[in-house]
Amino acid sequence: MSILADSFRVAWIDLAFIKRNILVVLVTSLVTPALYIVAFGYGFGSGAEVEGFEYIAFMIPGVISISTMTSCFNNVAQKVMVQRTYYRSFDELFLCSMKPLSVILGKSWAGMIRSIISCTVLYAIGLIITKDMQFSLQAVAVILLSCLTYALMGVVAGMMSNSHLTLNLFTTLVITPMSFLSGTIFSLEALPEIAQGILYVLPLSHTTECIRSTILGTEFPWISLAITLVYAVAFVLVSRHLVMKGRNRYG
Amino acid sequence: MTDDIIIRGKGITKKFGDFTAVDNIDVEVRRGEIFGFLGPNGAGKTTTIRIMTTLIPPTSGEIEIEGHTVKGLDDPVKEKVGIIQQHIALDNDVSVRENIRYHAILHRIPRKEAKERMDRLINMMGLEPYLDRMAINLSGGWKRRVAIVNALIHDPSILVMDEPTAGLDTQSRHMLWKLIRELNSHGTTVFVTTHYMDEAEELCDRIAIIDHGKIIAQGTPEELCRELGSFAVEYVTEGSDKQYRYFHERSEALQFRDSLPEGAQVTTRNTNLEDVFLELTGRENTQAVQEVEYRI
Ligand SMILES: Nc1ncnc2c1ncn2[C@@H]1O[C@H](COP(=O)(O)OP(=O)(O)OP(=O)(O)O)[C@@H](O)[C@H]1O
Ligand SMILES: [Mg+2]
Repeated sequence: MSILADSFRVAWIDLAFIKRNILVVLVTSLVTPALYIVAFGYGFGSGAEVEGFEYIAFMIPGVISISTMTSCFNNVAQKVMVQRTYYRSFDELFLCSMKPLSVILGKSWAGMIRSIISCTVLYAIGLIITKDMQFSLQAVAVILLSCLTYALMGVVAGMMSNSHLTLNLFTTLVITPMSFLSGTIFSLEALPEIAQGILYVLPLSHTTECIRSTILGTEFPWISLAITLVYAVAFVLVSRHLVMKGRNRYG
Repeated sequence: MTDDIIIRGKGITKKFGDFTAVDNIDVEVRRGEIFGFLGPNGAGKTTTIRIMTTLIPPTSGEIEIEGHTVKGLDDPVKEKVGIIQQHIALDNDVSVRENIRYHAILHRIPRKEAKERMDRLINMMGLEPYLDRMAINLSGGWKRRVAIVNALIHDPSILVMDEPTAGLDTQSRHMLWKLIRELNSHGTTVFVTTHYMDEAEELCDRIAIIDHGKIIAQGTPEELCRELGSFAVEYVTEGSDKQYRYFHERSEALQFRDSLPEGAQVTTRNTNLEDVFLELTGRENTQAVQEVEYRI
């Protein structure tokens, strides 16, 4: 697959960056999820039960889902935006004969790696501290899909914004509210119906559903999987459009 | 006839909103030549170059490289082109070596060959002491050298340079001229923009002058000078700024000089490219003066 091989060529420089800064990358990938577990798991949920599971077993899959989103999105969007507008090195990718899809996927990989580190640690901690969580390959698959979806969303945002300011605005208005409200650390049912309706349209509710059901062994929400896939495809199409239009260059 | 044109832009137009930066121009660069592209600030040089090298899509028009119309971002013919952009385009958060290797990887150069080329180009540019520095820590001139290595790593048959000598010290500039000539003598076609007329006159086989997004003159430096008049008379009369007149015949120039009033300061000399440029684009180019740095 030349598209895939090319995408790893595109990713090479970001992987070189991770290799060079591995310690910092590890620390940043681990501290936030650990904080979630301590703050919500122990601080506020000990002893409680949600939807028939220990709260911590309900919450950790939610935190995994949050990590796939925030970590992938932030890393990818920042990198793409900075390389476009500040380094202007993004341009140079288009001197090579390269399919837009290779560039889009290539820009996703490095962000995904950082997120996968967080998720692995979270999943491992969960398996150790609660019996309600189980290991399953389906869970690994949906976690990877979720990472890819949010990395692609990061590509779109990185291509659309020309400064840290606009990117931060998007994070504050969309990413952060979504990460707390989408049934991640408390059940969606606790919210008013209108809010539930809005959140049902957003992707995080669905990736959370998929990840949680595969980890807790409940019935798999196929609709949520379908909606996640629709989001992933939509992000690919939008970023492809932006690349073709010449949006990859600054200004 | 077509196959000695190595890169051709046909009817290129680029609009940014309502503003037409490049207005339906045709550019033809012949195989093996050094082609100079001159124009005041904001004339549309960089935009044209970015379109010709397929970095940005034109609003309308077509690019032909080696007689092949470029179709799509993954057209293999793009690999024939190397570009040194006006703005340094390096990944600042990794080392110089990694920046160079990245370009070799992007161009799919086999590892062994890539290493040989990297060593040769790094040596040529004297970059060895800087390889392990972060790109951001290099001075402007050294960053440009890295950009030159990046542009040459895949051995392009057309090298496009957007103001390559801007900001370089005299030594580096001479080094670059030498490099351009050397590459050219080995068959590389060079397409270069510059604001230094002496440089253009010295290096370029042919020149195009662009102003307000339109090509207003094209030819060899000699042809352009001849068109304007090969003999220049520069004179200052009382209470006026320096004025210029151009003549096709030396006798006409001398006759004009003699007709000037007593006490005028007069110089007669050969017309140079700077004269041509200034006459064609206006000695006081208001657009260039007003040109807002859109990049800020
Ligand atoms: N992305 C953009 N958005 C809006 N306007 C642009 C953009 N890029 C270029 N322009 C405008 O197009 C015109 C031509 O710009 P260009 O960079 O091609 O000029 P130039 O001839 O290279 O000038 P210089 O000698 O200063 O490098 C300028 O007026 C510039 O402001
Ligand atoms: Mg320019």
